[in-house]
Amino acid sequence: MPLEQYQPQFFTADEWAFILAATARLIPSKGDGPGAIEARVPVFIDLQLADDFGKGADWYMQGPHDPNAPPQLGYQSPLRPAEAYRAGIAKLNDWCRAKHGGPFVELSPEEQNDILTALEKHEIALASTPAANFFDLLLQSNKEGYFADPMYGGNYKMAAWVHIDFPGARASFREWVGVDKPYPLGPVSITGERA
Amino acid sequence: MATTAKKKDVVIVGLGWTGAIVGMELCEEGLEVLALERGDDRDTIPDFRYPNIADELKYGVRYAAMQKPRNSTLTIRRTIEETALPYRSLGSFLPGDGVGGAGVCWSGNSFRPMAEELRLRSYVVENFGQGIIPEGMTIQDWGVTYSELEPYFDRFEKVAGIAGKAGNINGKIVEDGNPFEAPRSGEYPMPPLPQTVDALMFAKAARSIGHHPYPLPSANASQTYTNPYGMQRGPCNFCGFCDRFGCFNYSKSSPQTCILDALKRKPNFEYRANSEVLRVELSPDRKTATGVTYLTAEGEEIIQPADLVILAAYQLHNVHLMLLSSIGKSYDPVSGEGVTGKNYAYQMTGGTSLFFKGIDFNPFVGAGSNGTVIDDFAINRIDFGAQGFIGGSYICAGTTNGQPIRSMRLPKGTHSWGGQWKQAIKEWYGHSMSIGSHGSNMSYSDSYMDLDPTYTDRYGRPLLRMTFNWKPNDIRMTQFMKNQIEPIAKSMNPDIMDSDYKSDGAMYDVRPYQTTHNVGGAIMGTDPNTSALNRYLQSWDVHNVFVMGANAFPQNIQYNPTGTVGALAYWSVAAIRKHYLPRPRPLI
Amino acid sequence: MKTLLVAVLALVVLGLIAIAPIVLVPVAKTSAQQLVASDFTQDGGKSEYLVRLADCAPCHTAEGRKPFAGGLAIPSPFGTIWSTNITPDRETGIGSYTLDDFRAVLYDGLRKDGAHLYPAMPYENYRKISENDVRALYHYFMNKVEPVSSPVRQTQLSFPFNQRWGIRAWNWFALNEARFKPRYNDLVLDRGAYIVETLGHCGACHSPRKFFLAQDGTDATAQGFLTGGEIDGWPVPSLRGPASAATKWSAEELRAFLATGRNNHSGVTGEMTPVVQDSLQYLTGKDLDAIVAYLRHISYAAEQPPARIDDRSKRTIALLNSADPSMDLGPRLYLDNCNGCHFTNGKGARGVFPELDGNPIVVARQSGGLIDVILKGARMPSTESRPMRLAMPAFGQRLSDKEIADLATFLRQSWSNNAGPVDKTAVAVRRQKLASH
Repeated sequence: MPLEQYQPQFFTADEWAFILAATARLIPSKGDGPGAIEARVPVFIDLQLADDFGKGADWYMQGPHDPNAPPQLGYQSPLRPAEAYRAGIAKLNDWCRAKHGGPFVELSPEEQNDILTALEKHEIALASTPAANFFDLLLQSNKEGYFADPMYGGNYKMAAWVHIDFPGARASFREWVGVDKPYPLGPVSITGERA
Repeated sequence: MATTAKKKDVVIVGLGWTGAIVGMELCEEGLEVLALERGDDRDTIPDFRYPNIADELKYGVRYAAMQKPRNSTLTIRRTIEETALPYRSLGSFLPGDGVGGAGVCWSGNSFRPMAEELRLRSYVVENFGQGIIPEGMTIQDWGVTYSELEPYFDRFEKVAGIAGKAGNINGKIVEDGNPFEAPRSGEYPMPPLPQTVDALMFAKAARSIGHHPYPLPSANASQTYTNPYGMQRGPCNFCGFCDRFGCFNYSKSSPQTCILDALKRKPNFEYRANSEVLRVELSPDRKTATGVTYLTAEGEEIIQPADLVILAAYQLHNVHLMLLSSIGKSYDPVSGEGVTGKNYAYQMTGGTSLFFKGIDFNPFVGAGSNGTVIDDFAINRIDFGAQGFIGGSYICAGTTNGQPIRSMRLPKGTHSWGGQWKQAIKEWYGHSMSIGSHGSNMSYSDSYMDLDPTYTDRYGRPLLRMTFNWKPNDIRMTQFMKNQIEPIAKSMNPDIMDSDYKSDGAMYDVRPYQTTHNVGGAIMGTDPNTSALNRYLQSWDVHNVFVMGANAFPQNIQYNPTGTVGALAYWSVAAIRKHYLPRPRPLI
Repeated sequence: MKTLLVAVLALVVLGLIAIAPIVLVPVAKTSAQQLVASDFTQDGGKSEYLVRLADCAPCHTAEGRKPFAGGLAIPSPFGTIWSTNITPDRETGIGSYTLDDFRAVLYDGLRKDGAHLYPAMPYENYRKISENDVRALYHYFMNKVEPVSSPVRQTQLSFPFNQRWGIRAWNWFALNEARFKPRYNDLVLDRGAYIVETLGHCGACHSPRKFFLAQDGTDATAQGFLTGGEIDGWPVPSLRGPASAATKWSAEELRAFLATGRNNHSGVTGEMTPVVQDSLQYLTGKDLDAIVAYLRHISYAAEQPPARIDDRSKRTIALLNSADPSMDLGPRLYLDNCNGCHFTNGKGARGVFPELDGNPIVVARQSGGLIDVILKGARMPSTESRPMRLAMPAFGQRLSDKEIADLATFLRQSWSNNAGPVDKTAVAVRRQKLASH
C-alpha cells in the first residue's frame, strides 16, 4: 500500500502531518539512500506507538514522578511514550504557532530544521514534557524505523540496509571472519524478503 | 491464603547458570530439588529460533530477553543525599529474565580473575602499604584463594566449553596465551575462535609495540563440543546477533546449551517457571531457613518448605531477597555496621574508536565474545603506588555485532540527524573499530544497597535501592588506560580517532548501556562483621542458606564476572556436598 | 506404519478369490517353537528390557494416557486405526489373555476373540521371537504393567478394509515360518540377527514391500531384506549394501547413531526418532555391538575410504563462499537459511548438525522427508549420554513452495549430491499434508 493511503492507527490527522514533516527533516530524501518517507518511518512510528512500546508496557510507571529529576537518572516522566508523543507534538505546534504563526507542518524546511536543532539543544522548553525527552524519543524512533526489520513497517524494501550494506537477518558469516573486503550479497529480512 | 507444599530437600531460587549448576550437582546426591524461576520457560527452539531471533528491534533495542522493569526493578541514586528514583526503563545494565537467566543473552567473555584480585586488600597492603588505600575504600579479600578455586574454574570452563588459549599452564608460560594469567591446570577445552579484522589489526599493533596479545576466552564454540554432561554445541557462525540475544545455533554456552536438558532428565529434579519467590522463611530463632514463599503464575501463594535454600537469582535480586527476608544485618553506610547490601560495585569501562576509510570491517560478522586482549595493564602489572590508583583493566578489540540501530559508530561531531547523518552512515558504517578498556571497580563505604523508603514493586514490597557513583580512584584508572590505548590506536594510523573515557567529576548515568556486571551487596569474606557470606557462600547467620552469584564479589574484578560466578558455584556446591550435607551447620 | 494399510488393498482381490475357505475354516494359532521348562521365570529387569527392545510403547501409548493403554490414532486414507490397550486390565486390556493367546498375537496377529489384527502390528517379525522372550514379555505385561481400565476406540475402517477376515488371506501369503534360526555360528552375529530380525522388527520399515506389500524377506538370507523402504513419502534408508550407513559409517558412528540419535554425519529424524528415544537408547553395549556387527556383516561391502572432495563439491563451496549476488535462487536461499548450521561445505558440524552432502534423506528418490524437514523442522530425542534435544527450526513460514523446491533442488544437486529436482507442486502437497495432521 502506498504511504499516502496508509491509515494511521495511533496518530490523528494533525499529528500524522507533523510526523510526516518532522521525519522528512530528520532523515531527508535528498542524497544517497532512502529518506524517512521512502523508508516509511512514519508507519513504523505509528505502529510502535499503537503497540506495547507506546503503552510503556515494559516500563515501571509507578509514581511519584520527580519533575526535576537529573537526566542521568533516566526517564522519569509520568507520560508513557505514546502520551509523550501526543503531548510533545501538541506543545511544539503551539510553540510554532506562537513564534512562527503556524503549525510545524506549514513552515519551510529551513525553519523546521532550525526548530528541530533548537529542540535538540534544549533551547525550546515544552511545558509539561521535558523537551529533551520528546526530541530523543522522536530521533530514536526515526533510527529504529529506518533500520528495524521491514516487518515493523519501516525500512521499506530494506532500502536502509542496502544503503549501508548491512545484510539484515542473514546471521551466518563463518566464511567471512577476518576477511577485509566488501561483503557483496544483499540483505534478507526475517520474513525472507531479499534485496 | 497460602498453601503449604510438600517439603523438598532443596529449593533453588532462580534457574540461570548458578541454579542449573547447583541443581545438577545436588541431584547427583539424590536429593529432591525444586528450582523456582520467576520468568518464562525458554529453550533454544522455539524461543531463540532462527530467523525470528535475528531481530535487532525486539531483542537489541526493546530488550525482549531481559527483565521488564514493570515486573522488577530498583531505585538508583548517586549519593546518600540524593533521592533515589526508579530505574523505569532499561539502560545501564540489563538483568536477564526467565529460564537460563542472563546466561542466555550474555556476550560470552569467560575469564578467570587474577590470583591477586581474590586477595586484593592483602596484595595492596603487602606490596604498596596500607597508606595507599583511600579513605572510604572498603576493598577486602575474598576468603578463598585462586589455587583453591582453580579446579572449579577448570570445571566450569569444561561444562561451559570455553574456547581460548592458555598462557600459563602449571607455571609454564605458553606462547600466544596470556603470560600474566594465574597458572591453569590445563589448556582451554576448545581452541580459540577465528578472529575478525579489527582483532587481527589490534593484535598486530599491540605485539609490535611489545604487548602480549591473546585471544579473548570465549563462550562461543570454535568447533563441535560435548561437555561432561553430554551436552553439545555447534561451531559459532559469527551471526552478529549474540549479546542481548539467545543463541539460535547452539553455539554460545548457556544453561540451555550446557546443562538444562541433562538436568531435566533427573527424576529428582523439578522446576517451575513463572514462580516468583517473595521471601525466604526463617525459623523463630532465625538461625535456619524453613523454606520460601512464592507466587505462582496464577497468583496463588505457596509456602515451599525445604531443608536447604539456594539463592541463585541475579545479584540484585539475591541482595533484595536477603534484605526482604532479614538474612544478615542490613548495612548502614554511616556506622559502617551491618553486612547485607554492603560493597556494591560496578565496572569501569572506556574506549577509543578508530575510523579507516579504506578498510572493510564487515561489522555484522561478529560473535558476542570474539577478539584480541592484552593484559599488559592488568592488576598485577601496575605499580599502584606510582600510578596513584588501585585497579587495572584488560584491553580488547573485537566485533560483537553490526546491528545498525545500536551499533552505528560515527566520528564525533557528526550530526545525529539530517542529510549529513544519512551520508555519514553510508561513509562510516563498516569502516570503524574500537579498542576498549574493561576495568576494575573498587568498593566504597557509600556504594551499597538497601530497601527504598518510597517505591514498591507490584506485590507491595519495597524496591531495592542502589547508591552508587564513580570515584576518583577508578577515574584515574580509566584515564591511565586511555593513555595506554591511544598510542596503540595511533600506531594503527586511523583516519579519525575518538576517545571516550570518564574523567574527573563524572557522575553515574543510568541511560547508556555500560555493563551488566553488577557485583557485591552480599559479599563473601573471612569475618562475619564485614561480609554476609563465608568463603563457601554460606550465610553467616542462616546456615542453610547459600547465595550464588556476583553478589559475593567484595569489589569488582577487571574481568567479566561469569567465569568467576560459575567457579564459585562449583566451589560452593562441592562444599555443600562434602561438608554440609553430612552435618548441616555453619561451616566456619 | 500407516503405509502398511495399503496392504489391505490386496485383501479385496484375494478376498474375492478365497472367500469361502477363509470364512469357513477355523484359524489355527502357532504354538510355542521351543520347549521351555514349565517353571521358567524371568529374572528382574530382563522382561522390561525386552519390552524396550520390542519397542512396544510408542505405538501403544497415546499422549496423555497411561503407558501401554493404547489409543494412539494412526490416520490412514481408509480411516483411523487406534492402537489397543495392552495393559493387563481384564475388560479393556489383555488381562484375560493366556500365554497361548498372547503368543498368537505376536506370532499370528490374532486377537483372543479370533479377529485378525491389521498388519501395522509387526507379527511378520515378532513370530520369530523365542519362547523364552515371549514368556518374558507376557510376564511383563501381566505383572509389571499397571492395569488401566480404559476403552480404546474401535478401529472402524470403511468397506472393504473393515473385513478383517481378509487379512487371513494376506497372512497365508505373507507370513514366513515362525522360529528364529541362528545362521552364523557366531554368538555376536546371531544375537545381532535375532534382535534386528525379530524383536527390533527393523524390517517392518527398512525392508521394501513386494507383492501385496508383504516385507521382502524377514531375514538376511533374502536379498531385499533391509534394503530400504518408504513411509508416507519419506525414504527409509537401506541398512545394507555399499551406499548404506552400515558401510559408509564406522562401527562407532553407527553405534552412536543407534544409541543417541546422532553421530558425525547425521541426526535422527522422522519415524526413527521415537525408536531411538523409546527403544535403542536403552540397549546394552553388548546388544548395540551385536546389532552393529550384524548390520556390517550383511552388507557384502568392504568399508569405504572417506569420499574425497570432487570438483563439483569444490564448485558448490566456492559459489557459496563468494556470496556473489548473481547466484541462482537455490544457493542464495541456502545462504539465507541453511548455512548458519550446515556451512558452505554441506558438512554440518560433527555430532550436532547433520551433513547434507551425501545425506540419504536429501538425495533419496522420495523427496518427502527433505521437504517435511524444511517445512516443519526436526528435533533429536534426549538420550542418556546425549541429553540435548537438538532441533532445527521450521522454515515453512519463511519459504514459499517455489522457494523450498528451488532450495531442495539445490541441496540434491550440490557438493557430491546428484539427485533429481524437486517440483513446487510436490512441496504444496507436503505442506497440505502437514497442515491436515
